[in-house]
Amino acid sequence: MIADSFVLLRPSWVEGRPTMRQITDDVSRPLTSRPTLGWWACFAAASLALAWGAASATYEVATGIGTWGLNKTVGWAFDITNFVFWIGIGHAGTLISAILLLFRQKWRTSISRSAEAMTIFAVMCAGLFPLLHMGRPWFGFWIFPYPNTRGPLWVNFRSPLVWDVVAISTYFTISFVFWFVGMIPDFATLRDRAAGRGDRWRRKVFGLLSFGWDGSWRTWSRYEMLSLILAGLATPLVLSVHSIVSMDFATGLVPGWHTTLFPPYFVAGAIFSGFGMVLTLLILTRKVMGLERYITIHHLEAMAKITLLTGSMVGFAYLTELFLAWFGGNPYERAAFWNRATGPFAWAYWTMVTCNAILPQLLWSKRARTSVPVLFVLSLLVNVGMWFERFVIIVTSLHRDFLPSSWWFYKPTIIEVGILVGSFGLFFTCFLLFIRALPMVAMWEVKGVAAAAARAGEAHA
Amino acid sequence: MLKDFVGSGAGGLGEGWDPGEASRRDFLKLMGFSLGAAALASCTPIPERQAVPPLTLADGAPLPGVETWYATTCGGCGAGCGLLAKTRDGRPIKIEGNPSSPISGGATCAVGQASVLSLYDDGRLKGPLLHGRPASWAEIDAWIAPRLEAISAQSAARGSGLALLTGTIHSPSSRKLIADFLARHPGARHAVWEPVSLAATREANRRSFGRAVVPSYRFDKARVVVGLEADFLGTWLSPVEIARAWARGRRPEGGGPLPRHYQIESGMSLTGGKADRRLAVLPSELGLAALALIRRVARRAGEAAPDAPDPAVDPRALDAMADDLWNHRGESLVVSGVNDLAVQTAVNRLSFLLGNVGRTIDLGRPSRQNQGDEIAVAELIAAMERGEVQGLLLWGVNPLYDHPEAARIARALEGVPLKISFAERLDETAALADMVAPDHHYLESWGDAEPVEGCYGLRQPAIAPLFDTRAVSASLLRWMGEEQPDAYRHLREHWQRELFPRRFPHQTRWASFDDFWDHSLQDGSCEIAPPAPGPAPARDAGDLAAATASILAAHQESRGQKGYEVLLYEKVGMRDGRHANNPWLQELPDPVSRVAWGNQIDLSPRMAAELGLEEGDVVKLRHGATTLELPVRFQLGQPHGMVAVALGYGRTRAGKVADGVGANAFPLVAVRDGFHRNWASGARLEKTGYSETLAAVQRHSSMEGRPIVRTLTPAELRKGQEEERHDSLWKEWPREGHHWGMAIDLDACTGCSACVVACQAENNVPVVGPDEVTRGREMHWIRIDRYFEGSAEAPRMVLQPMMCQHCGNAPCETVCPVLATVHSADGLNQQVYNRCVGTRYCENNCPYKVRRFNWFRYAGNPRFDYNMNSDLGRMVLNPDVVVRSRGVMEKCSLCIQRIQAGKLRAEAAGEKLPDGAIRTACQQACPAEAITFGDLADPQSEVSRKQASPRFYHVLEELNTRPVVGYLARVRNLPEEEKA
Repeated sequence: MIADSFVLLRPSWVEGRPTMRQITDDVSRPLTSRPTLGWWACFAAASLALAWGAASATYEVATGIGTWGLNKTVGWAFDITNFVFWIGIGHAGTLISAILLLFRQKWRTSISRSAEAMTIFAVMCAGLFPLLHMGRPWFGFWIFPYPNTRGPLWVNFRSPLVWDVVAISTYFTISFVFWFVGMIPDFATLRDRAAGRGDRWRRKVFGLLSFGWDGSWRTWSRYEMLSLILAGLATPLVLSVHSIVSMDFATGLVPGWHTTLFPPYFVAGAIFSGFGMVLTLLILTRKVMGLERYITIHHLEAMAKITLLTGSMVGFAYLTELFLAWFGGNPYERAAFWNRATGPFAWAYWTMVTCNAILPQLLWSKRARTSVPVLFVLSLLVNVGMWFERFVIIVTSLHRDFLPSSWWFYKPTIIEVGILVGSFGLFFTCFLLFIRALPMVAMWEVKGVAAAAARAGEAHA
Repeated sequence: MLKDFVGSGAGGLGEGWDPGEASRRDFLKLMGFSLGAAALASCTPIPERQAVPPLTLADGAPLPGVETWYATTCGGCGAGCGLLAKTRDGRPIKIEGNPSSPISGGATCAVGQASVLSLYDDGRLKGPLLHGRPASWAEIDAWIAPRLEAISAQSAARGSGLALLTGTIHSPSSRKLIADFLARHPGARHAVWEPVSLAATREANRRSFGRAVVPSYRFDKARVVVGLEADFLGTWLSPVEIARAWARGRRPEGGGPLPRHYQIESGMSLTGGKADRRLAVLPSELGLAALALIRRVARRAGEAAPDAPDPAVDPRALDAMADDLWNHRGESLVVSGVNDLAVQTAVNRLSFLLGNVGRTIDLGRPSRQNQGDEIAVAELIAAMERGEVQGLLLWGVNPLYDHPEAARIARALEGVPLKISFAERLDETAALADMVAPDHHYLESWGDAEPVEGCYGLRQPAIAPLFDTRAVSASLLRWMGEEQPDAYRHLREHWQRELFPRRFPHQTRWASFDDFWDHSLQDGSCEIAPPAPGPAPARDAGDLAAATASILAAHQESRGQKGYEVLLYEKVGMRDGRHANNPWLQELPDPVSRVAWGNQIDLSPRMAAELGLEEGDVVKLRHGATTLELPVRFQLGQPHGMVAVALGYGRTRAGKVADGVGANAFPLVAVRDGFHRNWASGARLEKTGYSETLAAVQRHSSMEGRPIVRTLTPAELRKGQEEERHDSLWKEWPREGHHWGMAIDLDACTGCSACVVACQAENNVPVVGPDEVTRGREMHWIRIDRYFEGSAEAPRMVLQPMMCQHCGNAPCETVCPVLATVHSADGLNQQVYNRCVGTRYCENNCPYKVRRFNWFRYAGNPRFDYNMNSDLGRMVLNPDVVVRSRGVMEKCSLCIQRIQAGKLRAEAAGEKLPDGAIRTACQQACPAEAITFGDLADPQSEVSRKQASPRFYHVLEELNTRPVVGYLARVRNLPEEEKA
């Protein structure tokens, strides 16, 4: 397939020239072997966090939003920060699977599957927050436009929150279909491998999931066409979803929100944070699952380059915001940005600037880009920084807006922290189950890359 | 509801329903409704007597769902404002001022507004107590009669006997009753106790002008007013009456010269904030300030005046003030709220020199609103200590809480064999009584009032007594031997015998007493033979030399002491603390400090810096044997070397709402010449090392240079504000019919906060308690924003009532995903609670931050154990306004229920809705008439005329939100600007 036109100048994306069988064995081993102690430890931590989050969310829904630290001035804080954060995380997956597919980037093959899984789980986490942040979440379905018995009462199409609902449900649907379709050939492989006596259920399930895949030329041809169409559909979503999320703020009149810069700025930030999260996850899983051969340092370096690019875009956006606040001459806008940089939440602002705009500049150095520990620490800091970016945008803008009489402060409660931790718990629980239950590397795609590499290697020799 | 009754034909609820086709469902529905209605009706206490003539009589009986109004007289404080109590289904639910009352003029204060909630206070006694145990009235009467007789018999021999300690009694019938009671018990004495008294003013007037009265002050006639520590717009004497007169004297649009108001005071008060110029002096320098003005005025008058040092203020400011006073001789007014004989004597001399006595100071129509006489009380205490008092009756007083020598009184009470209290609750003093015979709440009582001489008010019950209480008059009559005492009969007979004959010869309106009585009850007030103003005193007999010596001595004494001076002040909501168990008043933020739920130690930021204190640090204030532990708060405009503490807090036996809130500052009250002075000297502050968060609703006091509260000089007003042009990309919304709007006059607004409580009562706004207020979650739909302008040395306080601005281009409306906030055709921004899912996006996007979220379920939730958590407390709820559930947003609706009722009334009457027929709750309550509501579609309406004023502006108009609520800029009339 696409693997034929491999360019020599590129590094080898699979190390050690594994055979096809070896690749299949390596990738499907975790699905059949017993979980390692490391996996159990991670799973225990993740499900504990999830349980804490579930308990916090239950208490909040049962008692009221008053269990959070919000007040008459700051109506959103952790809730929407987490929402935007998780939506942003998802973007790397879509970028890798859709845009890089269209640009025929071979290095995406080893990481696309887990990045897509990450997207699904991140959007699931994100989707929780709009529901949980409602005062009456049991009426959450009212924001879906459908013929109803309440009048019928239509939704307010002028509200960015309705746009959000549309954007995110579309995003989740496309991402899920893309992820699932991508796994079909691998499901067939797993079905065929499950030939043993005790594998009846496995055979049945994978048989069902693989939709009767027969590996014929015609099947492959149609499959690749479908992949390209889905990639084409998903590509605008990479840009549109976070643009729309950014309009939650940009269409508001709160100083610090009301700016046309937000859509591109948010998209860059989303990809930036997504790659941060992919790096964190893959550095861990390649180690824990023994997949260093397929997720090589070259993959990490490629991702580091994208992180550097998007991080610099984000930094540029920060400077633009400051410049426009000054240049625009709007006193409220000026005050909002002055307050961000020097006010009571200045620590959050400078954490954000340091983690997102300054530290990623280290990645200009190849030594940093190819050092796993450096990349790991940076990837964590990128995620910290991007979480704070949303926190800064939401909380520092709200807490001091037009009338100083209402200026207030925001301090999170243990319940809000619990729900944040719980969302990480949900994310990692899902991810850990994913790497145990589904092939976390796209075997069929890696085989293509490996075969091309092998051929290229022979020709070179 | 109303629509069903008037049956306008516009499609009521019942339309289209044919009883002939009633299905089983319809039958069940109707049956359920009838059962429910019958059950509801039977829960309601039925009024005691058929003789109650309500103001609006609908076919003789109160209709369910239709309000009935009763004219009555407020029992909140001694001012005696005339009220209308609104009842629904037999329950009083709202207090409004009675427009025909010469005291209230139709307005109320915050305390009056909140007083209806005290009716439903679970902390009230449910029946009489004998030795702390519930007893029946028959037992009480059987127990008391022989004891009173024995005391009378003894006292005839020993010259000692009964004593009566009461609060201010300006009820003519009660005064008569007390006189009768005292006459039956030879040797009995009567003393009047008020925790914040004007006794020194009366005594100084006796010495200076020969009349021991507090005169009527004509604020409406005064062109120059000097307030010397007199918070006459907030707490002093009769704030509603004075605020109305003060505001009526100011008409910036009138074109004529504006009156000028100077205030010399120590702590920052509302009145000081409203002054054109405010001078801050230490409490010990207030007398010096009066002397400094006398000296300057005397020089201009060519008279001699004693020499004394100036207070530590710019002498040129005093010169300008004296000039202004002198130039407005006879139409100026100097008032002082310092209960100090020497200062009052000096103020009297000043008034006399200026020729104000008999002109702006009306001694012929004296006030009876505060009759506290602490010297008589001190004599009573001494008599108790000597063992001369065999029986003590306590009525409307709580000296064990609010007397500075409470401990001494407690000891003295031990020696009194018979202690009877009429307290409505088992308060600090009643707890020591042998017997408590609880009085009715004023809304359950018959009564009368004469707050100002010649000006009478009547009180009638708006509900039958909720508990087994008895009117004090009935108790006293019973104990005087009447078998079937009747408070109503007693009142009526008194009026027939004593008052009507005085009134009768001067009128032609009433043919008989019955006629007069019924109409007076319905009106709530009447003037009976107002005495002709007596001749102005020809000379001032006050001893200024002695006063000067006393002032200098007090100043020396204070300066000589180590430590700080302490000013004790009243907050507009809490006042002297007698209504402390009222959650509306506890939750009402003080407009100056903006702190609710407790008092604090106010000090200047400079002092705090010197002491190394942060806001919220808890300090111990030590003065003599008294120690108060309170958090500190920075207050601009307070001179260095003093702290200020609010009275009224630190109750121990008021009830579950008030107990333990704040600290009691009454023990700090100083006694000088026998008078209780509201400041002390020689207090020390000690750090405790811990701190707490004040329950403040505003944490930032600077406007940051933003044009939020606009202040103009008279010259700027004449020139007119610069017209700001705001282009809009949007088309105007189509409008039809009415276009509701509001104008708020910042020049008139005194910040008294009556509107805040009125709104809370009208709109079922929940009380959330100190913790939630600290978290920034108070629910008030209207708030009084307070900012400081100018320098830290000479700050100027400005106030702004802020509520939903009902924007034409409302930022909240576009962002709500579920259309829970929408615009009405008549210009209102409406919040639809049922539709709200609580995203709070509207709250975030509201530039005025007026939206309030139900963070919890506030009704029927033990966590918020205030009035909405009991059946008794919920009786106050307005059935026209829904109680919001948790998780929904709410905000000012411009009293949409009143708009609707007004429109329906006009429709039923078949007439065009007249301007002013609909009044919002905040507007109705406002003593200063600062709030105007009406139809902007009618160019002749008052609100349209106000919005056309050159002072008019919208807050944040550059955002193009196009509010229908707007403001009239304040005018600050400084003397130097007049010259310039």
